[in-house]
Amino acid sequence: MLGKILILALFFYFLVLLQTSFLVHFRIFGFALNFVFIAVVLINIFEKPQKYSGMAAAFIGGLFLDIFSAGVIGFNVLILVVLAFLLKTFFKKYVRLSIC
Amino acid sequence: MKISANKNTISVIILGILIILSLNFFQKPVKGFFYSISSPLQQNLWEMGDSLSDFMDGLINSKNIKFENEGLNQTVRELIAENLSLQELKKENETLREVLELGIQKEFRLALASVISKDISQDAVLINQGSKDGIVLGMPVITPQKALLGKVIEVYDNFSRVMLISNEASAFDAKVSQTGITGVIKGSGNLKISFDLVSQDKELIEGDLVVSSVLGGIYPQGLLVGTIKSVVKSDIKPFYEAEVSPMFKGADELKDVFIILNF
Repeated sequence: MLGKILILALFFYFLVLLQTSFLVHFRIFGFALNFVFIAVVLINIFEKPQKYSGMAAAFIGGLFLDIFSAGVIGFNVLILVVLAFLLKTFFKKYVRLSIC
Repeated sequence: MKISANKNTISVIILGILIILSLNFFQKPVKGFFYSISSPLQQNLWEMGDSLSDFMDGLINSKNIKFENEGLNQTVRELIAENLSLQELKKENETLREVLELGIQKEFRLALASVISKDISQDAVLINQGSKDGIVLGMPVITPQKALLGKVIEVYDNFSRVMLISNEASAFDAKVSQTGITGVIKGSGNLKISFDLVSQDKELIEGDLVVSSVLGGIYPQGLLVGTIKSVVKSDIKPFYEAEVSPMFKGADELKDVFIILNF
């Protein structure tokens, strides 16, 4: 579990750097896509509903987004953790995927 | 078994909250540390993204380049003519200053900084100058073309965060340079700004140049803000507003900026 968290931390650290310094130059219809958000959603969709790596990913991704943004630390963490929780609840209750 | 699972969940939630609270308590050193270790990589990524987006813009807009080039050539010719007359006026002005003994023109003291990252959700950029370089909260930031970019809202040892004038929290007094019509420039988010609180009896024209005003004391006067893009009038409101096209061409294209140290 600790190894997984370390990998997630490194992944999101570099993704946030890429997001704030590189991907921010490429705007679609005037908006820059938030790839941290997309990554968190994808991890939560494709992991088993019983596992909790998606929640850890949401926490770590949100934390790095907050560190590299203005304002208080915790804003993006809260949004992403709530989003991950809702996705998990939805998939646990209503969806059965054979790939899991 | 279920009780133990619930206990674990509660412990993890409490641990998460404690981490967030403690990070907020030590926000400045924590953010400063991450900016310090990441700045070399961020600077390279920013330059790479800048070059690549320029290249892609060139590809996408190649059809318009010829048309734009003709327009620009025309503008250059007009500006050369205008420049010549301005040089004449400058000479005349200098002579008059000497005669009236008004002294040397007071200029801003500037510090050069590079943009290294931009917030995804807010109109703010991070620059590589901080409190060690004499930067303090509230200092105005401009582009090399003297277009107003925003002001410093967070200062770390070697870095500062600049809130762009397009940030929704940004509002300051401005005026139309040609007519002197005053109003308030408000940020609308996503690199957009509007010129609000303009009296109904005043007439704004598309293309009017908006500059900062000394009222409010946030920015020095005369910095380029933008040009009037479209006017939105309403008979119900005592004031009307106009959409303004900012003078800085998108925070993505920014590389070097100047911080005004005194004004």
